[in-house]
Amino acid sequence: MAQIELAGKMFDIDEDGFIQDASDWDENVGAAIAPTEGVTEMTEEHWKVVNYIRDYYLEFGVAPMVRKLCKSTGFDMKKIYELFPSGPAKGACKIAGLPKPTGCV
Amino acid sequence: MSENTNRSENSKTKRKYPFKIEHPTEEHRPETMINAMKDILNADIYKLPLSIYLDTCARCNTCSTTCHVYQTTGKVEDLPAYRSEKVRRIYKKYFSRSGRLFGRLAGAKELSEDDINSLLESAYRCTMCRRCNLECPMGVDNALITRIARVMLSYLNLMPSNFEISVNSQLEGETRNTSAIPRIAFLDTLEFLNEEIEEIVGCDMGFPIDKEGSEILFIAPVSDYMMEAETLMGNAVALNAAGADWTVGTEFYDAINYGLFYSDEKLEQILQCVHAEAKRLKVKKIVVGECGHATKTLKLFTEILCKDSPVEKIESVLEFTAHAIMDGKIKLDPSRVSETVTYHDPCNLGRMGGVLDEPRTILKACTDNFIEMSPTREENYCCGGGGGTVTMDDIYDFRMNVAGKMKADQMRSVGAHYVAAPCANCKKQIRELIDFHKIDSTVVGVHDLVLKALVLDDASQKKSDSDES
Repeated sequence: MAQIELAGKMFDIDEDGFIQDASDWDENVGAAIAPTEGVTEMTEEHWKVVNYIRDYYLEFGVAPMVRKLCKSTGFDMKKIYELFPSGPAKGACKIAGLPKPTGCV
Repeated sequence: MSENTNRSENSKTKRKYPFKIEHPTEEHRPETMINAMKDILNADIYKLPLSIYLDTCARCNTCSTTCHVYQTTGKVEDLPAYRSEKVRRIYKKYFSRSGRLFGRLAGAKELSEDDINSLLESAYRCTMCRRCNLECPMGVDNALITRIARVMLSYLNLMPSNFEISVNSQLEGETRNTSAIPRIAFLDTLEFLNEEIEEIVGCDMGFPIDKEGSEILFIAPVSDYMMEAETLMGNAVALNAAGADWTVGTEFYDAINYGLFYSDEKLEQILQCVHAEAKRLKVKKIVVGECGHATKTLKLFTEILCKDSPVEKIESVLEFTAHAIMDGKIKLDPSRVSETVTYHDPCNLGRMGGVLDEPRTILKACTDNFIEMSPTREENYCCGGGGGTVTMDDIYDFRMNVAGKMKADQMRSVGAHYVAAPCANCKKQIRELIDFHKIDSTVVGVHDLVLKALVLDDASQKKSDSDES
């Protein structure tokens, strides 16, 4: 498995660049992943989305339903795509240190 | 734009595959493939159709006029008849009387490693949409032959990585669903949806949970619980407005069945999980959410593979809602959806399942601005992500530029604001096509519009109020 250094720590990553062990994640790591997903600067709005996803994942073991993410952050889908060009599942979840979403869709 | 073949290399082996494969078998490949075909020919459900489809093909190439892949590439390898010929050759060489006796004299070739590689590539360039079957004068079903090829290849563990991950997640994973949604998250999502429904329609019309003894089990493709809130809320309000006695189950809640696309064994195992949940909740009927292949799997294979199931009836939520509209149980106000709406027929629901009038009945009740794509109904083009290929990120270029090209052209030419597509796979593919080809449309589920157009009379409001008190 490939490894990558993020914010001074080594991480195992899958072929799509998702980090494998979410427990070592911190905001510096998130900020270091961000440019790989087309996010040049992590603003307060970016952190609002990333932290919500991360907290939900820690409580429920999966990313939140997209509509719940929008409702809880107050951002619509258009805004989320503006913040994360590769979308909530690929971009925001990856920056939040979640494993790659499984599934068919 | 050129098509990128995008070959991913498996680091452990010398072989290259056209897409990511988890654990490919590298040894004894031709023998295994021949044994696989032997097994398949011995299976009751295949004996008759296969012997007909493999024996008859007039090589007239009428199928060339119907295949969305061939029409886009113009390459002989993408002709349905040519694709099927790769399977037919194995059959003729090893299983037909003439092949066994005179194969060598007739120049029949032994199955080679290259033949297997080429079959793998072919089997996943076909989206199993069965459009070619419409025009075939001999009635040959090339999609079934593609499926046979995929089942044979699965004996060598040659299936797309995401197929294997999804199926294992359902059959062996803790969460028992393809999106790996744990039960607590599922419950949280249902609670959220129920609150949202109450906010939108003004009364309690949410999801009943684990209500044993209900008449109906509602089961959706689980990805809807991540992505398609409006579709699910529309499903729930339709069931409730029609006065159905229904429930969702929280032990097995995923109607997706990727066994359909490569493995009879997995298909049956997943189907059994759905029926076990139906049995646990003592329901008589299953209503399947908006999903083509899941609906087809449950409707078609239950009778063959789950003979002991107490479930008496299985239908798509589209059939349920259309019948409730026709019976006057659900009222919709077509002025609520003022935008233009077109409909994409998912192949597994329309061409293969005969669910053609029902979605149109619903949409025409939701809006006065319904327009058909051309061609449509049985002749509609595949979204380009059929046969499970929508899950294969490594063939994204193929899905956008080749398999989805005809669909993109169709959508652009009809120019509707909404493209209603009642299938989780079609929705994902169409959403990506709209984005990639910069088409000015939005993809929705059919029930997203039901949610918008639903009219509640005072009686249902009052009933809901008295239920709460």
